[in-house]
Amino acid sequence: MTAAATASTRPAIEARDVRKRFGAVQALAGVTLSVPTGMVYGLLGPNGAGKTTLIRALVGLVKPEEGELRVLGQRMPDREILERIGYMTQATALYADLTAEENARFFAAVHGGGDVEAALRFVNLWDRRASVTSKLSGGMRTRLSLACALVHRPDLLLLDEPTVGVDPQLRAQLWDGLREMAAGGTTIIVSSHVMDEAERADRLGLMLDGRVLAEGTVADLLALAGTDRLEDAFLRLSAAGLDR
Amino acid sequence: MSLRRTFAITGRLMRQFRHDRRTLAILFVTPLLVLALFAALFRTDVPLPTVGVVGPADGSLSAAIADALVASDAVAASRIESADAGEARLSDRILDAVVVVPAPGSDGVLRPEIVVEGTNQRVAGIVPGALQQAVGAGMAAFAPPIPSGAPAPSIPRIEPVVRSLYGGSELDALDLLGGPFIGLLVFLLVYVVTSVSFLRERSAGTLERLMASPLRRTEIVVGYMIGFTIVALVQAAEVLGFGLLVLKLYNAGSVWLIFGLEVLLAVGAVSLGIFLSTFARTEFEAVQFIPLVVVPQVLLSGLLVPVSSEPGWLQVISNVLPLTYAVDALREVMLRGAGLESGIVLRDVAVLAGFCVLVIVAASATLRREVA
Repeated sequence: MTAAATASTRPAIEARDVRKRFGAVQALAGVTLSVPTGMVYGLLGPNGAGKTTLIRALVGLVKPEEGELRVLGQRMPDREILERIGYMTQATALYADLTAEENARFFAAVHGGGDVEAALRFVNLWDRRASVTSKLSGGMRTRLSLACALVHRPDLLLLDEPTVGVDPQLRAQLWDGLREMAAGGTTIIVSSHVMDEAERADRLGLMLDGRVLAEGTVADLLALAGTDRLEDAFLRLSAAGLDR
Repeated sequence: MSLRRTFAITGRLMRQFRHDRRTLAILFVTPLLVLALFAALFRTDVPLPTVGVVGPADGSLSAAIADALVASDAVAASRIESADAGEARLSDRILDAVVVVPAPGSDGVLRPEIVVEGTNQRVAGIVPGALQQAVGAGMAAFAPPIPSGAPAPSIPRIEPVVRSLYGGSELDALDLLGGPFIGLLVFLLVYVVTSVSFLRERSAGTLERLMASPLRRTEIVVGYMIGFTIVALVQAAEVLGFGLLVLKLYNAGSVWLIFGLEVLLAVGAVSLGIFLSTFARTEFEAVQFIPLVVVPQVLLSGLLVPVSSEPGWLQVISNVLPLTYAVDALREVMLRGAGLESGIVLRDVAVLAGFCVLVIVAASATLRREVA
């Protein structure tokens, strides 16, 4: 993305000191974050770090108690803006008794239209479009779920651990596709707890205990931690974060 | 067979029960509730059937029978001015039966006439018995004991006639129960199917996706409602067709009105299914609601025991259950041939429609609460 584009558009996501508590658990403990438009942004952190809660807040499913959250320029929660957001949940949330194409068509319709064929081709499932979803393999269902999240060509795509159960070859292919979408101006947030996956993102946010511990490009984070492996960087930065 | 392994299974089940209070409640509380309901319904002093008596007051045998009937403690009878006035009160449901005791005919036969409303089997059973007793008592009062050796005085033969205001005497139990039962079937099946399938939407995670889409909550609820109502309509048409054409259920009213009532019931059942599925996490839990939602409604809807014969506190409950109005309306239409011009049918339709609106709002509201 060019410097000019950055200057001309607002960040796709702006979070300022966002807090949310579920009973005794402080799921978000003051998240501050800015993601420019057209970027692939990786949210990295162990289970329970707050990645899913943050993503759910970005689609208005969680209402922050404190702080401000702006998505595509709109303060969340905002229903109208959801037409421009694609959301892929952790569970492959699909209608098991519908075919792949019927699922994609349904999610296109509830978002106000989309290109079903392009979405299914994108995840390599166009040939399997007539298969009933419950008959698809786990990896295929994950891909179909991704197709359903992007079928309406959203400006912001939120992917909660999207490549679980997808084989390495297809994973590479999907990432190429995501990069292509980002180049076309789509902002993509990918959460993951797998390090080698996170390395593919333009920028990373390391999350732990409801906070963003460190943020930057892979190179930034490695330099910050003084190591050459992202996994080590994460461990060191989390240890430092806990000491704070 | 290893006892240890077997007991491992048993022990685990017991521990699971300990964590599952809801199942325990279903197992140990529901039967008592249902049984208590049964007792309240079938073992209470139900109000006596109200009977209007038309007869002479001239000291004749007929007058004696009429007086005996008014004095009877099997029915709550009082004299009324004419048979016509009695029938009007019958159709207004003020009276349960009218008994006309005329003078003996020219053939010397006394033909008392019992006019019943026709849709209440309990009344149809009690009143003839009460008349029978009144005839005995009336004859004893009218004819003093016969001295031995004297010729027996001529006593007219007595042949009571029973006539129904609605439906005629050919109504059997199926005619009386069948119509309302169709409504009940539609309501219950649609409720169960909706609550389970909406729960699947929750447990599969697709509801989360829908919530993250521009869909409004009411769009989800109304969309569901239309979908299941279409299925329910096909079902209602099928069941109604089977009832009317194959089982030859008695129907004096408009088939379209019956159908319309079933649409209302289906819409209410769908919304109720969505609403109650909020309180369940699994399909199993949704099924556990069935005895709580379904059984009291079936028992208290007036299908088996007329609401008017229930003890007062149960009538209060019956009067807030939507199925009571559905059963009443279906009876009114099918057995009495009432249409929308009838105040009773209009009231029932209004209550059912109000119930639908209420549950749709409640269902939409619970969807919202779950999200933020």
